[in-house]
Amino acid sequence: MNTKIVLMLAWRNLWRNRRRSLVVISSIAFGIFAMILSMGLMNGFNSQMVENTISTSLGHAAIHKNGFRDSMKLELNFAMDAKTIKALEATPGIRAWAPRVKAQGMLRSSEASRGVMLVGIDPEREKHLTKVSDSLVNDNESRYLSGPADKGILISKALAKRLDLFVGDRLVLMMQDRKNEIVGVGMQVVGLFQTPVESFDKFVAFTGIRTLQETAGMGGAISEINLVLGDRNEVDAVKRALIASINNPGLEVLSWKDMAPNLVSAIQLFDTMMYIFFAIVFITVIFSVANTLIMAIMERFHEIGVMKSIGTKPSMIFWIIMCEAANLGLVGLAAGTVLGAGLTTLLGARGIDFSFFNESMRLWGTGSVIYPVIKGMDIVAAGGIVLATTAIAALYPALKAARIRPLEALHFV
Amino acid sequence: MGLITVRGLVKNYESNGITVRAIRGIDLAIGRGEFSAIAGPSGSGKTTLLNIIGGLDRPTEGRVSVSGTDLGTLSPRELSELRLRRIGFIFQAYNLIPVLTALENVEYVLLLQGVDREERTRRSMAILREVGLEAEAHRVPGKLSGGQQQRVAVGRAIVSEPDIILADEPTANLDQKTGAALLDLMHELNHRRKTTFIFSTHDSMVMERAERLIYLVDGSVDSDRTRGAAHFTRKKPAAAKKRK
Repeated sequence: MNTKIVLMLAWRNLWRNRRRSLVVISSIAFGIFAMILSMGLMNGFNSQMVENTISTSLGHAAIHKNGFRDSMKLELNFAMDAKTIKALEATPGIRAWAPRVKAQGMLRSSEASRGVMLVGIDPEREKHLTKVSDSLVNDNESRYLSGPADKGILISKALAKRLDLFVGDRLVLMMQDRKNEIVGVGMQVVGLFQTPVESFDKFVAFTGIRTLQETAGMGGAISEINLVLGDRNEVDAVKRALIASINNPGLEVLSWKDMAPNLVSAIQLFDTMMYIFFAIVFITVIFSVANTLIMAIMERFHEIGVMKSIGTKPSMIFWIIMCEAANLGLVGLAAGTVLGAGLTTLLGARGIDFSFFNESMRLWGTGSVIYPVIKGMDIVAAGGIVLATTAIAALYPALKAARIRPLEALHFV
Repeated sequence: MGLITVRGLVKNYESNGITVRAIRGIDLAIGRGEFSAIAGPSGSGKTTLLNIIGGLDRPTEGRVSVSGTDLGTLSPRELSELRLRRIGFIFQAYNLIPVLTALENVEYVLLLQGVDREERTRRSMAILREVGLEAEAHRVPGKLSGGQQQRVAVGRAIVSEPDIILADEPTANLDQKTGAALLDLMHELNHRRKTTFIFSTHDSMVMERAERLIYLVDGSVDSDRTRGAAHFTRKKPAAAKKRK
């Protein structure tokens, strides 16, 4: 079979009924455009949701005493020994790490009380790990923690509102210490923060790590070491490497996916919804392409009979029709990709402001401005789906054309 | 033995539960280089006979051989190959591929045969020159007159130098002058290339000019007369002269 003549005939046949072809190409292009744009939007949404969660609380991975993540018990602590530090320094891919102490407690003001997760941090190290220092509200009196022994407390703007507190006000922290005895300590609010993650803001407060260690009677023990990587996608490899180098069966290394399974499930749910949406769009494209090709074949029934009577093999007729469908798909794909990728790139740079849904966006932890992201795989997937769709759509018309009996077609007017 | 041998040919069709006997027992032998016409009234079976000889239709009974090959023994794929290599078709309605230029239409058969590009173009241009359409080589059929389109169809039929050309009412859609010119051209080709031409026709001009006239009535041969080439009146000595 001569590929060149097949491609040439398929291309020229495509433009015999220009208007009809353009309608089908437009429908494919619109499908691709919608697919790339919505995938870009969803990528941006997912990415920001993950990044904000990582950058406010989890980090990319964390080292805990076994079982700490499930119970958050103060007694599940460990000493940050030289071997662990060496492992952290030696493992490639780790950009920064910081020790933390975590304790559940109650913050009380003169007006109200709220349960919180109090996190003791090394402020300098934490700067390289999370964005808490960048999330301080623009208030002249609001400041970040000065060092591990800072006795002040950072609370969120939302929590401050609930407790009716301002910067400089005092509150009482009540918690169980290591011996399970209730301790209370007065603290001064030194700063307010606001992150894009509402759940984080509602329940987390920060103080110096040494302050919390002293209050809880933990000595130099810590609850966890959090770490961030240069590339989020390397998290599983880094996790494996750390487990091997720390080699302590009493400690566990968890990735952000292990620590936030709900986030992973949410992303999978969004992806599934996207695929269902695309399936609906492309099923309509299948019918549109199949309908166009069947009409084209009926119009050319006699011509196909002539071609077969002068020696054209059925396989060549089959491939001409398949290539016509591929041409429809490829032209639609090109147009849709240019439009979709163009708009997504533009919106990726400028962002889409969803501040009118601010509360919902904070609930999801995405921030109010979404920056769509195009992934190379999305374009490849779009191309694959279009080619598969048009091939499926063309299969029946192509087989029908290949099976046309020349004599019957010659008599067809 | 003739180039084409037809023995005991019967073709019945079923139509609304009624058996239509299109051909009722035909025996024929057509030799190489003949310029023959199959004529007869409508429904006499001339197109059916032509289709069976061309391997487009299968007989109910009897056999048709081309160069000793019984067409009844060939698969559809082999019949397709036979049509590609040995038989050229000219249809009443020209039936060119509308998206291809005149040159590409002529080249098409050579392309199916796997002839390389240079050879294909050389032979196709030579044929277009022969049928007087060199200047129209790059025009699509829609930009050509009926007569020009039929000459392209003749070019397409002869370019691969088949043994046989089957022409079904080739002049039916042409005016008398154009039809006569086309017949001149085909006779010239027949004379020079020794290609066997078989026409199915109503046209008295074709009947008049054919060297052999097979007249069918009700699916049987009513008369079969050979008149020889001498009676053929050629209007011009060479068909290569440009026609419009």
